[in-house]
This record gives sequence, C-alpha cells and structure tokens, in this order.
Amino acid sequence: MPLFALDHVSHSYGSVSALRDVTLQVEPGTIGLIGQNGAGKSTLLKILLGLIRPTQGRSQVLGCDVGSEARELRGRVGFMPEADALIPDLYGVDLVALAGELCGMPRKQALRRAHEVLSYLDLGEVRYRPCGGYSVGMKQRLKLAAALVHDPELLLLDEPTAGLDPDGRDDMLNLLQSLARRHGKSLILSTHLLGDIDRVCEQVLIVHRGTVRGMGRIGDLRAQFRGLYRLSWRGLAAGFLDQLQSAGVLLRSTDSTDAVLVETPSDWAVRRFYEIAANCNVILRDIVPQEEDLEDLYHRVIQAA
Amino acid sequence: MAIKTAGYQKWDEARRAPAWGVWAIVRTGLTIVLRRRVFWILIGLGLLNFLFNFAFIYLKATLTIQNGMIGNFLDNYQVTGTGSAFAEFMFAQASITALLLAFSGSVLIGGDYRQGGVVYYLSRRIDRRHYVMGKLLTVGAIVSFITTLPALALYLEYGVLTSSFDYFLDHPRILTGILGYGLVLAVVQSLLLFAIAAWVPRTVPLVMSWLGVFVLFPLLAEALRAIQDNRTWLLLNLWGDMQRLGSWCFGTLNENKAPGALTCASILTVLCGLCLFLILSRVRAVEVVQ
Repeated sequence: MPLFALDHVSHSYGSVSALRDVTLQVEPGTIGLIGQNGAGKSTLLKILLGLIRPTQGRSQVLGCDVGSEARELRGRVGFMPEADALIPDLYGVDLVALAGELCGMPRKQALRRAHEVLSYLDLGEVRYRPCGGYSVGMKQRLKLAAALVHDPELLLLDEPTAGLDPDGRDDMLNLLQSLARRHGKSLILSTHLLGDIDRVCEQVLIVHRGTVRGMGRIGDLRAQFRGLYRLSWRGLAAGFLDQLQSAGVLLRSTDSTDAVLVETPSDWAVRRFYEIAANCNVILRDIVPQEEDLEDLYHRVIQAA
Repeated sequence: MAIKTAGYQKWDEARRAPAWGVWAIVRTGLTIVLRRRVFWILIGLGLLNFLFNFAFIYLKATLTIQNGMIGNFLDNYQVTGTGSAFAEFMFAQASITALLLAFSGSVLIGGDYRQGGVVYYLSRRIDRRHYVMGKLLTVGAIVSFITTLPALALYLEYGVLTSSFDYFLDHPRILTGILGYGLVLAVVQSLLLFAIAAWVPRTVPLVMSWLGVFVLFPLLAEALRAIQDNRTWLLLNLWGDMQRLGSWCFGTLNENKAPGALTCASILTVLCGLCLFLILSRVRAVEVVQ
C-alpha cells in the first residue's frame, strides 16, 4: 500500500494557484519535501491531512480517502505545523494530553501518554510550565510531542528545525531518525534546510510553482547525474580549459591554478579528458567524480524540468 | 539537552468518538479561565450579588418567623421570590458576565486565532463543528455558572426556607423563566462573543467591540427612540431584547409596551444566525492568501 497517492490534484486560493494537476504515488519511508517559498509544500501537507479540500482531484493517505475519511485519517497521522499552534495558558502536559484526547484517547490514557512522550522528548522537567513561556526549541519539541501523543503511523513535519540552535537541530534530527528507523514511522519532512533532508530522508519530492518536478530515492536521483568531476593537472591550463569549454564542458568552479570542478555533457566519456589534455600538453594528475549535494540536485532538477 | 532516543512506547487502544473532544475543549477552556486571577475577581463579583441575595433570603426566612414586619421590610430589597425579582437578579448577574466575557473572550477564542490554536485543534480527529460546539459550550457554561445556577440556587433556597414546598408548585413559571432566560443569555452571548473574537482576536479591540455592542448600542437605541419617538429603535439594545425575552419567560413582560417578545426573539434569532455564519466562515485551518 502506498503511503499516499495524489490523482490530478489541484488547489487554488482565489486566483492564486498553489498546486497544479499533481499526480504521484509515494511509498512509505522518510520523504523530504523541498521547494521555494510559495511552491505549494504547506498546501500539499494540509491536503494530505484533510485540512483543506483540493479544488480538483482525489488523494489517498494510508489507504484512506482524504475527502471522505479525513477525520479517521487524522487519527492515524500526526501534524507538526510551522506556526506555533499552541495554547499559551496551558501547561505543556495539559496541551499534549488535550491533543491525545482530541485524537480519541480516553482522558487518563492521554495524560499518561503525555507524560511518557514529554519525558521521551526531554521536556519532563518543564511539563508543568505554561507553554507560552517555552523557548523556541522547547516549543518545537512540544509541537512534536502533541503530534506524537496518539502514536501515529505517519508524521507530517512542517519546518521542524526552524529557529533551533545547532545542538537543538542536531537533537531534533536524531530524534526524527530514531522515530523512522527504530519505531517504523513514516515521515514527510517539509523544510528549506536541505541538509536536514539529506540526513533524515531516503526519498525526496521536489515541488516548484505548484508542480512536482522530481521525485524518488535521493540515491537514484543522484545516480541519474554522473557528470561532475574535479580535475587537477600539471602544466599550462589556459589552452586546456578553453578546449574543454569548446567541447561543451561547463567550468563550475576554479579554486586553484591547477584544479577545476567541471560539469560534462550527458554523452561525455572520461577518456576525452585525456585526449584534450594530450592535445594541450597538459598532464592530468587526477579525475575525481564528484557526488552531487542535495542543493545541486534540487537546482538541476528544477532547471531540467 | 540530549534527547533520549529510547523509551518510545506504542499506543494502540480503542479510540473514543470525536464528540468526546467537545468535552475536552470545554474542560480546557474552563481551566484556562479559572487559572487567571483577574477572572476570579470578576467571578467573585458575580458571586457577591448572589451571596447578598442568598443571605437576605435566609434572614427573611429566620426573621419573619420572629417578626413579620422585618420580613416585609426585606421584601423592599426584592427578596420577594417573584418572577420579576429573579429576572432582575439574572439581569444584574448577566452584566457581570458580559464584563468577564469581554476579557476572557480574547483568551478563550481570540488566542486560537493569534497563536495558531485553530490549526492545533483542527489537525486532530475532530471536525470544525466539534471545535465550534466546544467553544460555544465553554462560554455558555461560564454564563450559566454566573446567571442560571445562582438563580436556581436562590429559587430552591426561597422555596425551602421561606415557605412550604407549595412554593415550587405555585410558581412553576419562575423555574421556566430561570431556565429560559438563562438559555437566551448563554446562547446569544456565546455566539456573539465567538463571532467577535474570531474576527477581532486581539484583546483591546475585542473588549472595545464587545462593550460597544452592550454599551454603545443601548445608548444609541435610547437616543434614536427619543428623537424619533418610536420604541422600535429599542430593538437595537440587545440587552433590552434579551431582558424582554427573559421577562416573557418569567411571565412578567408588559405586552402593551412595544417591542414585544416575538419581535425581540426574531431579532435575536437573526443575530444568532449571522454570528453562526461569521463563525463558520472563520473557522478553518488555513488562512486564505489572496
């Protein structure tokens, strides 16, 4: 069973189109949702949660039809919104217990579970403080606790590390990794911080201007691209670099006089580096294939689309 | 702080129906109000009037037995056990409730719009009708706690202490009046507060809007009535409308004086419908970006 499936889903806010005819199917696991501001990430999350009804199309999450079974679905999904979404006058433990009760847990169980989850997230000592006085990091963890209290199968996380210091961010990412790997939770992580996705997610969904431009396992997407090399040589570079450029090679960065990062055309063969080097009386010392980072991957997919 | 990466427990038990969420919302709302000391002062003010009446009824019951004239003297202070006395008592209580709601509305409902609480509620296993019902019942419970319950307590006290149980049989309309007027106050005030707080969530504008409805409108209604010599303008006074409807429930309304109870009921029904429309159009988890 797929984690979620969208069938020609579109959504508009008045005249502003947030999602345009999105059709896709995603397998369970950890999924990173990336895109610019206003690309449609938050709208997609809210459609998956049944909080907004798409203007067109149908969607299924965990086998539930989002249109007709939204309430049941929300009992199986935890949502951590980007905004505070807290009730400042409530104690942390009451807020989390209330979230449990609103998900159908009996009062006593919700309260017990709230204590467990808060201890798990290291908020045990501040559980009896009004959550309006929590620090940013505590608020983020409290929101996660409220999303986790009913033990959901899927967690939708909107910017979970926003505003966290490096240690807090590291802790949050460790925690998300643990939830995914040790406790079998599926995660959909929407963030601008591509490093977070690189660290936690196996799959990535690239959204751009309301359309999905790329989707799949990060490793597979990287494998589609093998044209980035770091070259280093001995000899005069001027003629060598000119000939590389005239052969269609793109110089990405020149960080020294005897090394360069290049991007090759799709039909490029590595032996051509040697041929051009031989023509220019340059001795190649190293040709190292480079792994594409997620930011490069994102830009490449956007440009290719 | 290091996060513990062990100790996560699974939970897989039978879930309750979403309607239970309404009770959780009501309980939480009342907790929030009772946790603030400033609200206790206002609740205390409301209870002061109740205690005053309670003590007078007790005094009347004990003193009348010894000296009937003192009992008659106390009746001048409206400890008479009649419908109009209870209507007056509830009206006085309702004024204090209005003041309490002016400030607590921002905490109970306005806060959900300022702090993203609506998303917090609606992303759970409840619908927006559960959320709306929970909030309305919270406000209704506060109103009833200060108006209907004390009136019922006084009614019981009066019947038990000052007369025989025949008092309850002779004055059933008072019970209908307390419940009816209490219901009118709870329904109208909760819907109106929710509608105003949903659209004007910040404390100061909310207090000004709320007090505007209950202070400015009566003044305006009275001025227009005086200028135009037309009592229909009194319908603008929502307090007056509720009071006239309450008096009708108690059976003490002077029907010869316009506006009548039916007209007041119509005005309040239209107002409640409008409030409900404003509430439902505002309760959603996503801000519409134009």
